[in-house]
Amino acid sequence: MAVAHTAPSAFLSIPPQKLSSFASPKTPFLGFPVAVAPKPFVQARALTLAKPTPNQIRCQGDAVIPKEQKWMFDESNINGPDIWNKTWYPKAADHVNTEKTWYVVDATDKILGRLASTIAIHIRGKNLATYTPSVDMGAFVIVVNAEKVAVSGKKRTQKLYRRHSGRPGGMKVETFDQLQQRIPERIIEHAVRGMLPKGRLGRALFTHLKVYKGPNHPHEAQKPIELPIRDKRVQVQK
Amino acid sequence: MNKDKIFKLAKGFRGRAKNCIRIARERVEKALQYSYRDRRNKKRDMRSLWIERINAGTRLHGVNYGNFMHGLMKENIQLNRKVLSELSMHEPYSFKALVDISRNVFPGNKKEKEIVLRIQCAQCMLYLHMVHPHFLRDHNLVDS
Repeated sequence: MAVAHTAPSAFLSIPPQKLSSFASPKTPFLGFPVAVAPKPFVQARALTLAKPTPNQIRCQGDAVIPKEQKWMFDESNINGPDIWNKTWYPKAADHVNTEKTWYVVDATDKILGRLASTIAIHIRGKNLATYTPSVDMGAFVIVVNAEKVAVSGKKRTQKLYRRHSGRPGGMKVETFDQLQQRIPERIIEHAVRGMLPKGRLGRALFTHLKVYKGPNHPHEAQKPIELPIRDKRVQVQK
Repeated sequence: MNKDKIFKLAKGFRGRAKNCIRIARERVEKALQYSYRDRRNKKRDMRSLWIERINAGTRLHGVNYGNFMHGLMKENIQLNRKVLSELSMHEPYSFKALVDISRNVFPGNKKEKEIVLRIQCAQCMLYLHMVHPHFLRDHNLVDS
């Protein structure tokens, strides 16, 4: 069955401070069309922000310009950068590798493609509201027990993995279970690599996938958490 | 004079395209065409990025983008996607309030799955019926 998300609990565990002026206390919602939230509110919010939790934006508290520097900025920037009219783009501090989440997932008896799809979504960062296609915002994923991954139907003996050495007649073909005997990690790597974007960023994202054969992995120091899988059919039906 | 303008526009190009006028002229013309086209594409790309971000933000709360927007349209909340995506990133509590409003108005399509009653004839092992749940309900074959 699907496992609960760990991401939103970071928001809801903090007691709600200032709700926006969007929802007035009398009515649960405003029945008339609302314009963009006013600017002074942004400054108040930036001041009350404490240490950013893992999924929040960093550098948000720097939106206020100190008084002695105001002469350096022109009229449009006098109250700080306009975060409501310019689409947010992550700064370097928003995607530093040491502060990314690490997930671990056990591949025993999980359908290969469905598992790989969830892994690719988390590595790319498409589950985060701060998703940016040109920047690596995703998490790291560790896969253990890679040799026990399952496929349905007759794929175990019929699915072919091909590679070509570049020379004429150099096509090498292997079936799923032959490759599983030889190098079981490659099966999951092949599946996930096909689901990540192809290009420089995709190759960098692929290095965030760590696949291991047995139940152990050397990344205990990163304190990985359980990968939340929302797909209901990822477990093999016995 | 025109050459100087071309070389000014060709700054940062790769190889001879920044130095030699014949190549630079072609590349600069292409670059100007691309920038014309991309000024229009940028609006599309930005909107699609906002939609992706809103989708991710609402899925954290268990609602997908389509149902969320449907709920907002029903309530006549006219926030545009740019602002919604910024809310989902910077103002998580306000965004959750919006998702709750949308979910109250439009809880989503809960499709009644067609129950495939595979009635197997004991002797000939043929599947006999595919039954709609309303059939079962009307004929009191299922307690709901």
